[in-house]
Amino acid sequence: MKVPVIINPTDFESLFRYNFRPLCLYALHYMGDVEASEDIVQECFLKLWEKLEQGTEVENRRAYLYMTVRNRCLDTLRKKGLQTESLNPNDTYGIIDDDDAAERSQTEAKLWTAIDSLPEKCREVFILSKRDGLKYEEIAEELGLSVNTVRNQISKALKILKEGARKILMFFFA
Amino acid sequence: MSHSEDRHLDFVLKHYKEGAFDTEKAIGRFREAKGIKPQPRRRISFAAIAISVAAAVLLGVFLFTGLESRQWTDVALADALQTVVLPDGTTVTLAPGALLSYRMKDQREVRMEGKVYFDVARDESRPFEIDADGAFVRVLGTEFMVDGSEKDEVKVYVADGKVLFAKNRKSEGVILTKGMEASIEDQMQVPEVEETPDVNSIAWQRGSFIFDHTPLKDVLDCLSEYYHVSFAATDLSKKLSGEFATDDLDLIITLIESALDVTIIRK
Repeated sequence: MKVPVIINPTDFESLFRYNFRPLCLYALHYMGDVEASEDIVQECFLKLWEKLEQGTEVENRRAYLYMTVRNRCLDTLRKKGLQTESLNPNDTYGIIDDDDAAERSQTEAKLWTAIDSLPEKCREVFILSKRDGLKYEEIAEELGLSVNTVRNQISKALKILKEGARKILMFFFA
Repeated sequence: MSHSEDRHLDFVLKHYKEGAFDTEKAIGRFREAKGIKPQPRRRISFAAIAISVAAAVLLGVFLFTGLESRQWTDVALADALQTVVLPDGTTVTLAPGALLSYRMKDQREVRMEGKVYFDVARDESRPFEIDADGAFVRVLGTEFMVDGSEKDEVKVYVADGKVLFAKNRKSEGVILTKGMEASIEDQMQVPEVEETPDVNSIAWQRGSFIFDHTPLKDVLDCLSEYYHVSFAATDLSKKLSGEFATDDLDLIITLIESALDVTIIRK
């Protein structure tokens, strides 16, 4: 007879809270798509919960999550018929190892959070410039601002991100 | 930013989508899928739960009450300015990055990190106590801010009422009243009262800066601390009075320039 394993919902929630966003960023490197990444991470948490419910103890839950997220990403890409040259996590600068990938995901999750917490107008201007590649003049026209304001908002955003990325702690992902 | 940080930022920016990767929503979906009811978040370790389950048959009643009284509830871990009402009616406003948990029974106890503004509901039979990691604050009912966002220093600014501010529960403290500000550093035993309290300490919570015959130099110092920008101006000795909303720096600068007939340049 299997010994029932007690899953502490509070512990599991903490695991979720601390790792959800970093895992999403991790998946994003494979999938390149926000929704698909989010779905995969969600499925992996469900899978882990079910495994624990069945009585299987998972020693390092966080490492297990990174592993299952990666496998599921590669499976999904394969099913779509896309080439996956390497089983290793990679970025545009080449292959990196698992620990580096986890650390990178945390850094990126912090940056994501930092962008989330920029003042609204500041974020809007910043995203138009850096993500959408609009020129200062184009942003100024679209939002009805002066070019000077656009420039200031962007330098403000960069400053906040630069300081914020270091200050934001893990619990900040909520 | 270093080269690798730039690379991380580029990647995040390329994909950034407002409202995506929302942990709270994801937890909600997870609970729905698994039929789990939301749990108050408690600071109880897994071991404590396991032991209590084993011993529950013998000690059921004792454990129930024992756990209750040890229970700490975490308030949202804010990633934007967030206002929360605690069970006793106290309103807390958390600056981004602040963390707060409370326990309310015979006393009202709060533990916090970062910058938090309190509007404490009056209840003289139950003092309201705050542990801010290296500082202790006790009040009956009042409005004030505790700023633990600096590494080795905790600052308290009182907007209204009366507050006791000390290093810890047992140590000697100072009484602060309306408009007073004090701070304590790690190596100090008693908080030091600021001779010139800064009404703009709580500008972030109030949403406005207040200046009263303030020299332009001090005004610009205040703005540059808040917005992380440096300024130069043509006549720093002119004095400014008025209240300005914090959400538009450009507007503030324009208003000051026309009110004082000066030119202000960002450096």
